[in-house]
Amino acid sequence: MRVAFAGNPNSGKTTLFNALTGRNEKVGNWAGVTVGKKEGRFKVEYGEDNIAVDLPGAYSMSPFTPEESITSGYIREENPDVIINIVDATNLSRSLFFTTQLLEMNIPVIVALNKVDINKKEGVEIDVKALSQKLGCPVIETVSNDAKHKGLREIASAIRLAGKGQVAPFVQSDIDLHDKDAVDKADRARFAFVNSIVREVEKRKVKSSESTFADKLDALITNPIAGIIIFAGVMWAVFAISQTYLGPWIADYLVGWIEAFQGLVEGWTANAPAIVQTLLAEGIVGGVGAVVGFLPLIMVMFFLIALLEDCGYMARVTAVMDPIFKRVGLSGKSIITMIIGTGCGVPAIMSTRTIRDERERRAITMLTTWIPCGAKVPVIALFAGAFFAGASWVSLVSYITGVVLIFLGALLIKAVTGFKYRKSFFIMELPKWSVPSLKRAFFSMMDRAKAYIIKAATIILICNCVVTIMANFNWHFQIVAEDAQDTSILASIASPFAVLLIPLGFGAWQLAAAAITGFIAKENVVGTIAVVYGITRFIDTEELAMTGGANEIAVAMGLTSVTAIAYLFFNLFTPPCFAAIGAMNAEMQHKGWLWSAIGLQLCTGYAVAFLINQIGTLVTTGSLAAGFIPGLIAIIVMVIITVMISMKIRKNFDKQYQLHDKSVLGVTR
Amino acid sequence: MGTVISIVVLCAVLFFAIRYIVKAKRRGVKCIGCPNGGENCHCDCNKE
Repeated sequence: MRVAFAGNPNSGKTTLFNALTGRNEKVGNWAGVTVGKKEGRFKVEYGEDNIAVDLPGAYSMSPFTPEESITSGYIREENPDVIINIVDATNLSRSLFFTTQLLEMNIPVIVALNKVDINKKEGVEIDVKALSQKLGCPVIETVSNDAKHKGLREIASAIRLAGKGQVAPFVQSDIDLHDKDAVDKADRARFAFVNSIVREVEKRKVKSSESTFADKLDALITNPIAGIIIFAGVMWAVFAISQTYLGPWIADYLVGWIEAFQGLVEGWTANAPAIVQTLLAEGIVGGVGAVVGFLPLIMVMFFLIALLEDCGYMARVTAVMDPIFKRVGLSGKSIITMIIGTGCGVPAIMSTRTIRDERERRAITMLTTWIPCGAKVPVIALFAGAFFAGASWVSLVSYITGVVLIFLGALLIKAVTGFKYRKSFFIMELPKWSVPSLKRAFFSMMDRAKAYIIKAATIILICNCVVTIMANFNWHFQIVAEDAQDTSILASIASPFAVLLIPLGFGAWQLAAAAITGFIAKENVVGTIAVVYGITRFIDTEELAMTGGANEIAVAMGLTSVTAIAYLFFNLFTPPCFAAIGAMNAEMQHKGWLWSAIGLQLCTGYAVAFLINQIGTLVTTGSLAAGFIPGLIAIIVMVIITVMISMKIRKNFDKQYQLHDKSVLGVTR
Repeated sequence: MGTVISIVVLCAVLFFAIRYIVKAKRRGVKCIGCPNGGENCHCDCNKE
């Protein structure tokens, strides 16, 4: 049997789906609309003949969003054998609107009354028998995130008997669906019916009209000014804990072990050919070890972010940022994209498919990778540790700069495309505040750690090996001397690019090579720096404390604090890794927009690094840095190209939408 | 002997790394190094 899981967003649908299927869901794409689809076979104890289909959250069968179109379309056209309607027991009146529509579809429905544990805590009682009688279908209490899986067996049993004696309790009268007033009247009638049921079956201790402590907290946290200050403070605390205190403290032990292991490998390979020893000890253990050394920082950071999500805080952040994003013509859903982007750019770009307006969707697709993703955290941590004594403000400034660039980028796109923005709507339910689950945060952190280690052991490992060979061999495949690396293959490939980077303050081939390998995976910037400079110990809290911030890394790279920030921002804001570019290509489905995105990101990274280097050097030394004129010419050329593209797009737009040739009608301006 | 072992270890490490990447790409994994292959990092956009 095909069992569809339908319900409002945030009702606990996916959690219930995962509990019944044991997270065996397959992921694919719906034909015609690109929104994620999940299917999975029920676990053996719940009836493995049943196939569960997890549908996107919907408030109604009348689609307002792409997700609701999927749900509505599936139910109407695919005719599942049974619908499990997950109803949020803490918000009965809103949930039952959709329930009554589903009951009209002539498909057996089982209502899973979810989150009853929260109701119990708040003193809300629902007469389940009476509700079942009034709806004409089985109603089963569930707690989908409960370890004991309350209600799951009852649901599995009910599936077999579903549909017997089911009669729709409310049938919408025949109305003209194009008549807005008629549809409005019908919806009101349905709501009145639903509210009458809720009045009879639900008993509340606290009326929803009363203001609770949670309501007062929400009022503060979603305040336009206080909310942003609180958000900045919270993120500073996350960065401070993960990258200044707890993270580096744990990492120091890990790095010590990696160093010791590297010493062992050097000993074991003492008699092996130099290239084998170099590849194993420096390329693999050293290079990969340098990246893995930042793992504790990543784990702590994502543990804290998981706690913030689980308690409900991140949802409030989207409410604070929504009005600000709308001012620059971005959809409110862009904030969700950006939050996802702090983990990884690929799912962030894929999540843009839920944005209705095509141009808003393409705009945020182009801009979202300016939020530093998890892969860029080691790069930030490296430079913060080497040049700024591990100060947490480096991370905070990196993320804030990313957000500011997104705003400016959105305004630029608006100016270039010349499109007038129409209102976009962003509807989101604020989940209730809850004590975050340490267990869920732990598993989220471990998921992240596993993925990081897999990446380090595959892509970064191979990349480091290639870089090691290229840095140690010349074009005649002879090993180059340690002090003659400038004659290596890597140096000869990277040097032309390094010339372009002189105005930015980091015209060394080693740094150019590291930036180029960053397109494969941003962590490679760290790995490549480790290989080409022969440094493997990036984290050393003792040294940092003793020397006040300057250590062998800063000396080896030959960068000042100003040029270090310029290099960091260059890597953060130029195009992302190839996987993310591939995701952009898949979502934009237009080569022109894709290349515009890549061009915009390249120019932005270059311009930001140029400005930081030149202005920073002027402030600290009283004179401009080298390459000011060439850099300025490059920036001016970029601006001219942008203006020309803008004029072309506006011309095409006018041509496309002009009704008639005005000269034919004799109309003059 | 040490040389042989070193070369074997090196080849084995590279072999398994490349094999993992090739298999992942064949499975349609969009991002190696993202939880769930990049479909979902830490926020489910088909929220519940």
